Amino acid sequence: MVVRFVLQFDRISLPEDSPALRAEVREFLAAESEHLARPNSDFGTGHDPAFSRKLGARGWIGMTWPKQYGGAERSFFERYVVTEELLAAGAPVSAHWIADRQSGPLLLRFGTDAQREAYVPPIARGESYFSIGMSEPNTGSDLASVRTTAKRTGDGWLINGTKLWTSEAHRNHYMITLVRTDAPSDNRHAGLSQIIVDLKNDGARIRPIRNIAGSEDFNEVVFEDVLVPEDRIVGEPGNGWQQVTSELAYERAGPERFLSAFRVFVELVRAAGEAPEPQLAAAIGRIAAHLMALRRMSISVAGMLEDGQSPEVEAALVKGLGNDFEKLLPEVARLAVPTGPGAEHRRFRQTFADTLLLSPAFTIRGGTREILRGVIARGLGLR
Amino acid sequence: MDTRQLLIDTAERIFSDHCDKAVLDAAERGEFPERLWNVVRENGFHELAMADSGVDLKDAFAVIRVAGRHALPLPMVEILLANRWLQSSAELAVIGRLEGDRIADVPWAGNAKRALGIDWEGADGVSTSVSVEEIGTARNVAAESRDGLPVMAGAQPLGLNEPAFEMLALGRVASMAGCLERILELSLQYANEREQFGRPISKFQAIQHNLAIVAGEVAAASRAADAAIDALEGDRFALEVAAAKARVGEAAGIVAESAHQVHGAMGFTHEHQLHHFTRRVWAWRDEYGNEAFWQERLGRHLAGIGAEKVWDFLATRG
Repeated sequence: MVVRFVLQFDRISLPEDSPALRAEVREFLAAESEHLARPNSDFGTGHDPAFSRKLGARGWIGMTWPKQYGGAERSFFERYVVTEELLAAGAPVSAHWIADRQSGPLLLRFGTDAQREAYVPPIARGESYFSIGMSEPNTGSDLASVRTTAKRTGDGWLINGTKLWTSEAHRNHYMITLVRTDAPSDNRHAGLSQIIVDLKNDGARIRPIRNIAGSEDFNEVVFEDVLVPEDRIVGEPGNGWQQVTSELAYERAGPERFLSAFRVFVELVRAAGEAPEPQLAAAIGRIAAHLMALRRMSISVAGMLEDGQSPEVEAALVKGLGNDFEKLLPEVARLAVPTGPGAEHRRFRQTFADTLLLSPAFTIRGGTREILRGVIARGLGLR
Repeated sequence: MDTRQLLIDTAERIFSDHCDKAVLDAAERGEFPERLWNVVRENGFHELAMADSGVDLKDAFAVIRVAGRHALPLPMVEILLANRWLQSSAELAVIGRLEGDRIADVPWAGNAKRALGIDWEGADGVSTSVSVEEIGTARNVAAESRDGLPVMAGAQPLGLNEPAFEMLALGRVASMAGCLERILELSLQYANEREQFGRPISKFQAIQHNLAIVAGEVAAASRAADAAIDALEGDRFALEVAAAKARVGEAAGIVAESAHQVHGAMGFTHEHQLHHFTRRVWAWRDEYGNEAFWQERLGRHLAGIGAEKVWDFLATRG
């Protein structure tokens, strides 16, 4: 018996009209240089509501959504062009990023008409920001083990429990919270639901947690008898697991999964000058060769999604490979620029340091390297 | 079904039927695979890259990739491109690197009637007859024939008007992509069959993770190879080949290493077929420029473009 390799990355390119849109985004970014004082390609860095509102005004948030809900009804590829341009420039996108990528599409797919009308248009305007309430003190990779509960009462849902590592909960407006609405049973994936929590008004206690970079981006969110209205539930009660897993391919293969360290590369090229030594040139070429392959794989997945397929394993593979590259890039760059007497390359060192301190998160957030390898192994028929 | 898929399926079937371990072992002992060569000729594979073949040049490279999947012990890259550049398939012609008045790394020089020497830097080359008495035989780490011979009196300049060196490198890229895919498949198969501690070793997480890494490298190599093939005859061809040869070469080392680890001592034996594939990618990553060579070339180009424009290069459609 001959085993055939099953993963497929179709030869897909971005459509012909993408250069025009690309140029439009670059022109916009050039005019908004005040928002790009310290460029960082990490999607989780740079909370800038003013910038997000400007993007919303251009129609670059919720680009693929129906016009009825503030979207622009553009293609998934066009969204790809805009998002990769923003990341490559190091623009501050963290405020709206999750709402645009995840919460809006979730509400459009599973939400009620009233929820769509209430929550989605402000997201598209760049005014309303969402967090993802999944992890807990005892729930990380094993998501089905969540213990936060929501009990139906006459007045709504009564929530108790703790969410942890919730990015931007202290700044954002809402959190779509994964809770247990039925007691655990033999089917671990049953009895979970998603509920919208108003982070400013519902009474959840939010405590920022300092990270190794010294900044406060993720949080602990504690619920003690927090009551939210009945109509905050998203989709059918008990359907939470299907809902959180349905969007994984969209979450996992986008440009934010391999571009987080990109500004280090830009600064490496700057430090190299026009005619670098062979080793330094080779470092630049090595990084570029990785990046070119990854970007094409990511676009292949985008194309498969646009085509209505569900390339879950391919998406996990791109994320795994992309996240590892995000850590390889700064390391290759670091060793290509010797420290010692001579040029300081201050701008390179600063950008490198900014990225280095964020880098441990690259292979943890959105599915750890180990979880992704498990998904790939299953796709290869090993599990 | 499109032409390319039809060609790939046909090649897959024919190479499966005519290239087994016995054929590979014989070739590695130095016996020219005459029967396989006849099969290749009967099916016209050796003419696929010729201008009048009626087949897109990109499809010819897709067939080279299938040959790589089977570790075909014929120098398909050198045969197909020699016939293209000679505009003739009348006799067995192969290609090596022109170094002054000698040609190095010529596969099966003793069986060829004609050898082309390609100047890697000057982008042209010569076509010479072969004098069997003056051949110095040599092999690469895959025991593939890589002979040396003199340029004979009466040799003709080729007058090439395409990037020959880059096209040869693309040949290795395509071959490696196919070969790496096969190495993954062999590893998956072995991991599912081999039992230790009462279960297939594929059930151990450490093995699963190693194979997941291999799958990632193979997928990246495959996509990089496709992109470089698609760039044939385009403006960016030389740079796409640089990126692909660098990326696929890097994947080759990781994949071969992990495949041997998964196969244990079994894969270290000459009797097992794994080494026919792993030794080839080890050899091919170094031929027509290794990773360091192509990384430097690509890196120099990007440094010349400058920091502000480097993203524009990377994001160009294709």
